[in-house]
Amino acid sequence: MSRIRVDVRLKRDGFVLDCDLDIPEQGVTAILGPSGSGKTTLLRVIAGLETPDQGSITVGDKVWVNTGNRKFLSSQKRKVGMVFQDYALFEHLTVAQNIGYGLPRRQRGQLVDKWINRLHLESLEGRYPHELSGGQKQRVALARALATEPDILLLDEPFSAVDVSLREKLRRQLQEIVKTLEQPVLIVTHDLEEVHHLADRIGVMVDGRLSRIGQSNNVFDDPGNYEVAKILGWRNFLPVKSITSTAVTGAWGELSLEQAIPVDTDWLSIRPYHIRLTTEEPGGLCTEVVHVRELGAVREMECRLRDGTRLVMQSSWHEPLPAPGSQVWLKLPLQHIQVLCDSPLVQIRQSGNTTARLADRSVDQFTRGKRVVPMEKQS
Amino acid sequence: MIEVANDNILDLAPVWLSLKLSAVTVVILLIVGLPMAWWLAFTRSRLKVTIEAVTALPLVLPPTVLGFYLLVFMGPNGPAGQLWHVLAGHSLAFSFTGLVIASCLYSLPFVVQPLQAAFESLDRKAVEAAWTLGASMVRTFVTIVLPQIRRGLLIAIVLGFAHTMGEFGVVLMVGGNIPGETQVVSIAIYEQVEMLNYQSAEKLSAGLLVFSFLILLLVYSINRQWGRGLKA
Repeated sequence: MSRIRVDVRLKRDGFVLDCDLDIPEQGVTAILGPSGSGKTTLLRVIAGLETPDQGSITVGDKVWVNTGNRKFLSSQKRKVGMVFQDYALFEHLTVAQNIGYGLPRRQRGQLVDKWINRLHLESLEGRYPHELSGGQKQRVALARALATEPDILLLDEPFSAVDVSLREKLRRQLQEIVKTLEQPVLIVTHDLEEVHHLADRIGVMVDGRLSRIGQSNNVFDDPGNYEVAKILGWRNFLPVKSITSTAVTGAWGELSLEQAIPVDTDWLSIRPYHIRLTTEEPGGLCTEVVHVRELGAVREMECRLRDGTRLVMQSSWHEPLPAPGSQVWLKLPLQHIQVLCDSPLVQIRQSGNTTARLADRSVDQFTRGKRVVPMEKQS
Repeated sequence: MIEVANDNILDLAPVWLSLKLSAVTVVILLIVGLPMAWWLAFTRSRLKVTIEAVTALPLVLPPTVLGFYLLVFMGPNGPAGQLWHVLAGHSLAFSFTGLVIASCLYSLPFVVQPLQAAFESLDRKAVEAAWTLGASMVRTFVTIVLPQIRRGLLIAIVLGFAHTMGEFGVVLMVGGNIPGETQVVSIAIYEQVEMLNYQSAEKLSAGLLVFSFLILLLVYSINRQWGRGLKA
């Protein structure tokens, strides 16, 4: 199988897709992003269902799109397997006819049997799509897409059409299937769980741009910018006002530093399970407990800092937590604090002095070099 | 010719002429209407509203108004009439060809509108899925689009056919009343009534009534059958 290179720009009704993506020969790449961020448009561009205004798509040494010399290979001539959000099965055709639709007549019977066996659809081949469950439909759509032996398999929100109760089971089934595939798989989704289970690599899309892409664990643990962190499920954000060699401060208080952090840090973030209660003032932040919630095996405590910023802390169910209204000190271990910067693409405003700095930022916050200079931030 | 009474002979030629006119009109309207309805269903062009309004005009215009303009257009002094005279050597008005053109215009909305509605409710994802599976435009249309729009297509064919069978004002204006050439069944009935030959008029009317009823019965049965097939 071949490496796929996508570098496209497209403008439609005020929306801009500007995407540079490299998909390795094998493995699952997931594009995560909120609704309207352009994920599905990217998939449709790769499938040949949308024409980019500018750019190129190459698969190994084959050129699918090159706007420079007006080359545009139609969807029919690309080898893509696409599983649509609601599967788009042919309702008037049986399971076997659906799977065989894209196959040459001579090999149809043999290949249909192969994919029916591989995806465990043996007893369903004579049924129509409206006689199938959500999971069965998904397997038929997968078999139909894979039977043509595509260069890439594209999955658009694979579980959005399935009940929540079924998702876990289907996720496992899909995981088993896609891990054994020879071709690269590209999934677009807004569901963090899907990404955790299925993806080897993750790209995070914000407003039509890929803000962060890398190995799954790296991206989850080091989101790099505020908007990406929010999409990846980070919850605690402390806006930064100034940074010195020894401390970082904001309207919420001050944290002592043991080592320098990038001068252009806009936010500090920490996972709820890394925050600890402390009885001592030094190194801690003074907060007031707002809520305590029981979440099965864990308890969650929401605290308010002096400027109103909220921090969520998690502890195991057997640890006692103070009652709402109490004043507590929270310790944020420095090794677990992530530094984040703002995205210039999204208008997030906390205070006046950071507004001016936004305009000076480069387009891709994450790819710029981080200057680790312990000095006062410029406003 | 069928002998229905001692001194009354029922001429069936207008019936066959009406059937022929309706069949030809529906075939032409399908050829023109399918791409036109597809375009109207999916275009974002500003012209869409204008084209839709023009297509729907025969629904609101008195048939005599449409017939009058067509007569002017296709008559010996009209542009189409003169051109046709040069090409074919005879007049377009008061000919079967003229009748077909008039019928096509008059029945256009009855074919285009159901087709447009069918295309608008088409599962476009299924069409795109067929493309990604390598199906050509023609194969996609035949194997994916047609099965989805078959109800709309059936309604378009029946409405187009039935409307042409029943038209009167336009054919009278454009075709006149030439037996064997332009005398369709509705005009034949009118003529029989004019001649106070009520028995013949009654036979023709009853025949038309039964025919229309049977056609509609057949259509609703097929429609119901297809509906069941989808729900099953």
